[in-house]
Amino acid sequence: MQVPAMLRSDHMPQSIRTSTSAGAVVFAPLEGAGRAELVERRLTDAIVLGLLSDGEKLPSESEMARRFGVATVTAREALESLRDKGLVDTRRGRDGGSFVTAGRDRTRRVLDARVRSLSRVELRDMGTYYAAIAGSCAALAADRSTEDDLERLRAISLVLDDDETAARRRQGSVQLEIAALSQSPRLVREELRMQAEFAPLLWLWLREPEYRRRSLDARTAVLDALAAGDADSARERTVTLVAEAIEWLLATKSDLEEQA
Amino acid sequence: MSVRTETDAVAVVDTTFDDVFSLVDGWREQIERHVASAEPRVADIDDLVERLVVPDLSRDGALIIGAGFVAQPGFLRDAPWHLAWWLGHANTFGVTGPAAPELRRLVAVEDEDSESFRDYTTLEWWRVPATTHERHITGPYVDYLCTDDYTLTSTMPAFHDGRMIGVVGADLYVNDIERALLPAVRGAGRHAALVNASGRVVVASDSSRPTGSLMRRDTWGEHDRVVPCANGLTLLIDD
Repeated sequence: MQVPAMLRSDHMPQSIRTSTSAGAVVFAPLEGAGRAELVERRLTDAIVLGLLSDGEKLPSESEMARRFGVATVTAREALESLRDKGLVDTRRGRDGGSFVTAGRDRTRRVLDARVRSLSRVELRDMGTYYAAIAGSCAALAADRSTEDDLERLRAISLVLDDDETAARRRQGSVQLEIAALSQSPRLVREELRMQAEFAPLLWLWLREPEYRRRSLDARTAVLDALAAGDADSARERTVTLVAEAIEWLLATKSDLEEQA
Repeated sequence: MSVRTETDAVAVVDTTFDDVFSLVDGWREQIERHVASAEPRVADIDDLVERLVVPDLSRDGALIIGAGFVAQPGFLRDAPWHLAWWLGHANTFGVTGPAAPELRRLVAVEDEDSESFRDYTTLEWWRVPATTHERHITGPYVDYLCTDDYTLTSTMPAFHDGRMIGVVGADLYVNDIERALLPAVRGAGRHAALVNASGRVVVASDSSRPTGSLMRRDTWGEHDRVVPCANGLTLLIDD
């Protein structure tokens, strides 16, 4: 039973209302070293992506620790870093807790810092990997979508947003929907994982109106390819969109580095 | 039962889904009876649905991995939108860590003003039974929101005074259905595929017909035999 985003909080407190399903992986367990940084990274991404919106209450430290599968002290450490970056505000008292304070300037600074900190090789490689996933999803979806599926996809896809958060969220929803149409649970999980890890950077260009328009045009072209059952074209359009977004990101990185 | 013919295969397919729908139908009847005798309120509906579905979800070897009632918007006095849905032990959705999942309630965000609010009446498992007033099988589809896996959802509408009050339904994993039905579909022929109403393959004896691929309706005539099953399913067989 597919339940819309409004209902998806089985493992989330009511205060965490995510707007796309990528939210479901925001709090998935973390593995490996440097866990406090990983927690911080995951939450930062969710905030800049708009999965956690301005003013939203985060789960308690202990709840967060349980869900991420880390020690409470690790969750506390991550929250402290987020507070230092000005992305979270902690209030005491009966209605207290940690709240998201994601102003546009603040999230922009955080993202710019992230773009600068990653190497070109890393960014390009993420794009290559994501293009492989999203391209395969689109190609499979071209063979496996009914008229009904396409109509639903059109309804969420063919909208021009005048706000970058909404545009990023929409791009994520569309990619996820196309992944679901591939009929591959593994591709869907990988799409979700990549969205949580990489989407704020990959779709950074949606901060410019010009590229929100460009993305809409690309979504339209992908939809046409899906409707025509043209797997090659669906894949190619998707891969091209990702490649263009990465080129923009690398150019932006150069600009940022020159300014610095 | 040993499956030797397409008739045997149809019997196995029909029994499998009829068993699911007979559970769902039993819950529907109880819900309609409750609604006929009492003002419909969230707490009572939740109690009732929990009592109805939890024993069936908990049964050893149960095929169903999620079940419940989804209310028609505006039907319940104290909640415009409401889901009374339970997830079974085998349902791994949202489960983190090594512990086996427990039987649990799907907690829903039902606030219409929330940014994340979406109208569930647009989704196939609601829309089709609401339009046809018949039982309906949605999927196979990747349910990234609720089961986290490849799923079939069986739903039927519930009524009060001639008005639809919601849908009652159950989720199944496609993996389990493949195990349950593949021998029967094989018995129907080396090139036999069980498809849903849209022509999406549920399970096929021929491994070149992957589950989830489409055998579009306008091409069904090209197959040697088109054998209707119950619950909107069809066996397409080539000799």
